[in-house]
Amino acid sequence: MEILITRPEIAIDMFLPIFVVSTLVLVFGVGYAALITLSKMGYFSKKWMPLGYIFWALQTYCLYDLSVMIQSEPFTSKVLMIAMVAYLFVPHLYFRLIEDTDERYKDTHTTSNKI
Amino acid sequence: MANENLSVWTSIPFWRRSAAWVTGFASILLIWLTFDTLGQISMGTDEDLKAGTIKRVPAPTVINYNIDYQMSKKRGHEVPIIGAKEPFFGKEWSVEEAAELLHLGKLTSQSKNCMNCHTLLGNGAYFAPDLTKAWLDPMWSDKGPMMPMTGKSTREEAMAEFLINPSQYPTHARMMPNLGITADEAKGLVAFLKHMSSIDTNGFPRNFSKTAEQFKLGVSHAH
Amino acid sequence: MLTSIKTNSFTNEGQRLGMMYYRVAVILFGAQLLMGLIAAIQFLVPGFLFEIFDFSVARMVHINALVVWMLYAMIGSVYMMITDETGLETINIGLGKIAFWILTVAVTIVVLVYIFVQVGAGTEESIWLIHEGREYIEAPRWADIGIVVVVLIFYWNVFATYIKGTQTGIMTVMVANLLALAGLYLAGMFFTDNISMDQFWWWWVIHLWVEATWEVFVGTLAAYALIRLIGAKREIVEMWLWIEVLMLFGSGILGMGHHYFWIGTPEYWWEIGALFSALEPVPLIAMFVHVLYDWGKEQGAAHARGETASVITNGPAMAWIVTNAFGNFLGAGIWGFFHTLPQVNIYTHGTQFTAAHGHLAFFGAYATILIGMMYYGVQKANGIERMKMTFKTKMGIFLITFGVMGMTIALTIAGYEQVLVERAELGATWNGFFVAQELAWYVQAQTWRTVMGVVTLIGFVYLVWDLLTIGKKTQEVEA
Repeated sequence: MEILITRPEIAIDMFLPIFVVSTLVLVFGVGYAALITLSKMGYFSKKWMPLGYIFWALQTYCLYDLSVMIQSEPFTSKVLMIAMVAYLFVPHLYFRLIEDTDERYKDTHTTSNKI
Repeated sequence: MANENLSVWTSIPFWRRSAAWVTGFASILLIWLTFDTLGQISMGTDEDLKAGTIKRVPAPTVINYNIDYQMSKKRGHEVPIIGAKEPFFGKEWSVEEAAELLHLGKLTSQSKNCMNCHTLLGNGAYFAPDLTKAWLDPMWSDKGPMMPMTGKSTREEAMAEFLINPSQYPTHARMMPNLGITADEAKGLVAFLKHMSSIDTNGFPRNFSKTAEQFKLGVSHAH
Repeated sequence: MLTSIKTNSFTNEGQRLGMMYYRVAVILFGAQLLMGLIAAIQFLVPGFLFEIFDFSVARMVHINALVVWMLYAMIGSVYMMITDETGLETINIGLGKIAFWILTVAVTIVVLVYIFVQVGAGTEESIWLIHEGREYIEAPRWADIGIVVVVLIFYWNVFATYIKGTQTGIMTVMVANLLALAGLYLAGMFFTDNISMDQFWWWWVIHLWVEATWEVFVGTLAAYALIRLIGAKREIVEMWLWIEVLMLFGSGILGMGHHYFWIGTPEYWWEIGALFSALEPVPLIAMFVHVLYDWGKEQGAAHARGETASVITNGPAMAWIVTNAFGNFLGAGIWGFFHTLPQVNIYTHGTQFTAAHGHLAFFGAYATILIGMMYYGVQKANGIERMKMTFKTKMGIFLITFGVMGMTIALTIAGYEQVLVERAELGATWNGFFVAQELAWYVQAQTWRTVMGVVTLIGFVYLVWDLLTIGKKTQEVEA
């Protein structure tokens, strides 16, 4: 059998940081998406947008930290970082989608089953 | 609205088609991988064992062999090692006998509801020890406490005796209840456990062999 | 008080049958909580009901009652919405009612056998008549076949009505998804001596239910509820539903890989499982933002029209659905993600971590929205225009949510201790298991879990009390 991915040992005192960091990845991720979308929609002031980007930066850092802590291969770490750059655009695309949908369906008032 | 330039991104049919394509693609990939996996996890044959061909799930006659679980440098985790022949309940089991015994053991493991206290391959309830490598557990070795406690001289006999009268041999306040397991069913269960310990689980549970090794050297885990 | 269940102003037979399913679901929910409490006590007091009603029995009934009450509430919800969506009375509803009674009698017999017979001999007969001993799908083979027959009747009701009536996007997703949901059950109906093969197909049922088809079901219910409860626009809701289906199936189907790390299956599942299960939280985030967004938008539009009242026509149902949006993300998303990567999972697999994730995910993703649908049923049953939350509604939501969160956190602490001591240090041996079980951190965590279980049970009492009385009370206020 050819050599497969090796699974290095995780030190006992590394488990807590790993769990905390993986939670933070998702928490910052939601925070970023929510802040950008909500401030673009006008529920929040635009002042909050920079904080959203800070969340994105923190999320990227946490994900990088996680990949180091669980001893991912260098290739995997690079893929993750590229994914994070892609994630920078997601809330903007999401917002565009919401805006365009509202625009397109603004004259329809269907709540019943008749389309 | 024909003159309005409608974006595809807000079109319901576009998302409906995309959802169908993605779901279909994921399902086909899963089915394809399933065929590959089923080939790899179907039981080996007695010939494989004799020839030393490594199968992820060996034939039932693996109960006639010594089984170990050791660190493999190549794979970076522990793997089961099938060694020399050794008697199981004092004899060598033929292909038919071994298959029948394993069948009885698997049936018993389900009808006695093992999985709702123990974990098997890590799945089940979390009230009692994981059984994935239970056959190899140092508790049952000749240096462990269970052989003298049950008054038996082999691993399999000690395990069978324990399974028949579990609450007579308590090791902790939390005990295994008496489930009415007969002598034959107990033999079957031990065969089932020995067979499970020979399955290649990609190194789960980790560090099991290290602990077993320390146990042999007499290092205690008193906390 | 009890007259409120009898009062009904349902406008169609489907809703009446849906309500019958809800009633059984609530009873089974109660049974689930009681059994959970017994099992929790057995962690602390090992002698409790020893060799009378052992942990394995309590636990089996605990998780089976869970699965069955959810299936009941799901079937109930489909009957609840079918006429609204298709514009037709359910076709062959009489057959549906007979199926309901067959299923209920069968479930009763199965539960009584679990409780009084408990275990059988190691023979095929035990598998056919007592239980199959496979976590979550323990139902004996005879009941499996019965379930298939009943589900076929139910599916016929839904499918025939769908084909004849208006085919909305919501119903299209529902009909396709139900077919997958029902078909997958067949993967769990055979016996094999090969434990790896056994667990391989077992996950086809369990995973493709709870991480794919049930999630899509929830998305469909949420879409329907948003239209009914806050008057969201159908076009927007349906477009998002298709996007959710895309993301849920796109990540969930191959996310199956995270169950194939250690059961004898090949190594390539590590990469597949890690990649796709890391994507699984993405649709949950989208669902979360979408629910809040629609709510904000409809309320904003109402204000713009000069209306001051809330757009919500059913306060309790909406409150539970918002809890669902949070709970789904927290339980399935966060608690799922932090032990799903193989590097970490080799240590956490089969510890209390799994239990923590299971409690919050089943509650957050499924219990919440199904309870919301029950409130919707109560509203329909009493012909109420606008239903507001009562003190009991709030107590129910607060205590149940607080209790489940508390149990989850306690179990996470227990799981963390187990990972360090039993797994990382002592390699999951018999001795390692018990050393970890007896440390103070673990015992205290289990104590808190039990306390929080009692809190949940008190919340459940408020919930049932509210479901029984809220309709009558609102009617009086409206009159």
